[in-house]
Amino acid sequence: MIRATARWLASSLVLLFAVTVLTFLLSALAPGDAAKTMLSGQTTSYTPEQYQQLRHELGIDEPLPVQYWHWLYRLLHGSLGTDLFSGQPITQALGGRLAASLSIIVGTVLVSAVVGLAIGVVSAVRGGLAGRLVNGLTLLGLAAPNFWLALVLVEWLAVRHPVFPATGYVPVREDPAQWLRSIALPVITLSVGGSAFIARQTRDAMADVLSRDFVVMLRAHGLPLRSVVLKHALRNAAIPVVTLLGLMFVSLLGGTVLIEGIFAIPGLGQQAVTASSTHNLPMIEGVAFYFTIIVIAVNLLVDLSYRWLNPTVRAQ
Amino acid sequence: MTGLNAPPRRRTTGIAAAAALIMVLAACTSRAGGGTSQAGNSANGQPKPSGKVGGTLTVAYSSVPQTLDPAKTVQNNSLYQALAYEPLIVRRSDGSLAPGLATSWRYVGDDNTQLELQLRSGVKFADGSALTAQDVVDHFTYVMGAGGQFVPLFSGDRFTATGPLTVVIKTSQPNPDLPTLLTQDDVVGGVISPLGLKDKAKLGTQTFGAGPYQLDAAQTVAGDHYTFVQNPNYYDKPSVHWTKVVVRAITNPQATLNAMKTGQVQFAVGDASTLAAARQAGLTVTMTPLLWTGVTLADRGGTMAKPLADIRIRQALNYATDRKAIATALFADGGRPASQLTVPGGYGYDPALDDAYPYDVAKAKELLAAAGYAGGFMVKTVTAEYQSMNLVAQALAQQWSKVGISLQIVDRANANQYFSEAFAPKYPTFMTIFGQQPIWTEGPSLFLPTALFNPFHTKNAELQSLYDQAAKAAGAAKDRADQQVEAWLVHQAWFVPVVSTGLPYYATKKITGTTVSPKAPLASIYEVQPAE
Repeated sequence: MIRATARWLASSLVLLFAVTVLTFLLSALAPGDAAKTMLSGQTTSYTPEQYQQLRHELGIDEPLPVQYWHWLYRLLHGSLGTDLFSGQPITQALGGRLAASLSIIVGTVLVSAVVGLAIGVVSAVRGGLAGRLVNGLTLLGLAAPNFWLALVLVEWLAVRHPVFPATGYVPVREDPAQWLRSIALPVITLSVGGSAFIARQTRDAMADVLSRDFVVMLRAHGLPLRSVVLKHALRNAAIPVVTLLGLMFVSLLGGTVLIEGIFAIPGLGQQAVTASSTHNLPMIEGVAFYFTIIVIAVNLLVDLSYRWLNPTVRAQ
Repeated sequence: MTGLNAPPRRRTTGIAAAAALIMVLAACTSRAGGGTSQAGNSANGQPKPSGKVGGTLTVAYSSVPQTLDPAKTVQNNSLYQALAYEPLIVRRSDGSLAPGLATSWRYVGDDNTQLELQLRSGVKFADGSALTAQDVVDHFTYVMGAGGQFVPLFSGDRFTATGPLTVVIKTSQPNPDLPTLLTQDDVVGGVISPLGLKDKAKLGTQTFGAGPYQLDAAQTVAGDHYTFVQNPNYYDKPSVHWTKVVVRAITNPQATLNAMKTGQVQFAVGDASTLAAARQAGLTVTMTPLLWTGVTLADRGGTMAKPLADIRIRQALNYATDRKAIATALFADGGRPASQLTVPGGYGYDPALDDAYPYDVAKAKELLAAAGYAGGFMVKTVTAEYQSMNLVAQALAQQWSKVGISLQIVDRANANQYFSEAFAPKYPTFMTIFGQQPIWTEGPSLFLPTALFNPFHTKNAELQSLYDQAAKAAGAAKDRADQQVEAWLVHQAWFVPVVSTGLPYYATKKITGTTVSPKAPLASIYEVQPAE
């Protein structure tokens, strides 16, 4: 157990290091820099001396390894640096955004898991007309573009029937009820496709498990179908689904940008786009750092789920 | 300090700054001065308030400020500063100038080089410190050293406190529009308190002004919403219309409209793409012509594209442009054909020039043939995907092909890349959206040799002379001089303006005071108040 934990910690650190180094390298390869971005706001052309002076003041004239070392040094001292443009500490700037993004992503994954599993199980167990109906609905859910769905939901559930707010995010610490209302529409929007995806995977996995010998044996011993499905088959079928839920979580980290824009949610995705277009390196690194930590945490959860779901993994 | 730990010196952003350049405005051309409190107006020059104080006004703004430091922000974000930083002079929605921190101002002499401001007595900043003439001088000293977007507007100017409440600004060149640069529209007219200047690092995230409101950091999430509460020290409390103003940074036009329709927001800067829907939703839409969209024929010396050195070619491009068709197809609800670099009612506008270049393919071909390009030629342009600029480029490519000109479009989704390449300069022409403004400020931005939008630094003695005359003129003579500058630019065809559009404002029926006018196309946040 200790060895496994040490191995996981080591691999996580390597991943974190690799991602942050790669982010620095990719940022350096992108045309332009923060100094140019700032100076392009001047109403007259700027001199090369002014440009170099600003690069020096921002600390982006140093060799990339040196810049990275400064960033890493600050990180080890508990700081992600400051926003090149506002001077705001990165942790402060990203704190609220992290909560907004996680609210939407966790909500989407939870709703997709519950709805997708339910639909998938029903589809696999019932088959026939009900199964085909579920198939059709899930196909529709997969085909519906997020942005279109978002606009339709806003029109119907915010403008015409003011059930949910059309835009904005309310932190949970301010008002839990309003927080729930503020993330409802983005979560529903993203969960339609997510649920459909999970449903189809669950259906296939469940159909496969239901055809196995141990299920036939259980039924032969007189266990009711409900018990066989929920206690035995679902646990087996859930293993590939858990992997997909983990992947969904990770893909949503970058995939919510459009939805954040439509619902005016101050999330990490929007911040990442702004930081990239302005070459705000400390902010880009901060976002990348948070994303990597989340990916590591999600992977850990997926691994723990495997252990819980599958006794053979536990034994290993 | 250097290195990554050093506090950044300049914090404007390319996108925001670019937008600011595009939409840069100034409010009024009234040269003289003489601002005093007028009957029917409150102390700070606003129209007399209804006396009704609303609760919270929520405003949606499409631009996200990268910093709140007045010296380092961009003009496009002036709203954020206007709420907390009282300007020396207030620009009203009708374009007239009214007292702010300065109760009066006047040019000394008749060459527009020395402006004397008399400050209001007894004014306190939100932090409790008292306003003095030296504070104003210190403020501008900081602004000039901070290197922000506004420095060129005051380049070479000297600020002196000649008395406890008297400031004199001496300019190196005649500047007929100096009072307009001290209004809320150009941000730096809003004075920073001495306490703010003592701790400059805080200017990016806090406010230190003498305006009607101050930022409440606890209720603010940078990049999302900014909450302003009343300034207890404000000198003209009766003119404060709201207990709280929340500015929400919403960059998606549809999200802005949805927020308006559901009542989450009462006042917003709109967008051409949602204009029709806003009207349909029963919102009050206020708009006046503001921007022209077209092509800057930057390489007038012909270094990259030889044909552009010939005036006949540049005029041919103007004749080959069917402005009406583009305005109708792309800007059905808010655009009109434009042949000049200003808008109806704007600075230097001359109705006679509206039809300077009627759509005339035969005339265009004739000019091309006379210049030795009967078979046409190829020319490149770079565009951003912003405010339909790229769509105008595509329409022009189609229209110009009829006279044999092949317009090769380089479409940059990344606005920063577009600006970087346009101003490098990397291409002989670039698509442009530009806000009408006083000739005095338009010159250094658009057409003088040092202008950003003149990346090949084209010089012309005649244009410079006309510009200098306009800078020294006053009253009706100035209007005529402005028109002469615009006419020269139109006849020399340095640009191909195509369509003029406005900046729409949306308001619910619960508020009033969102008026705009041709020379004051920005709504004044000071005048937005609860409806009776």
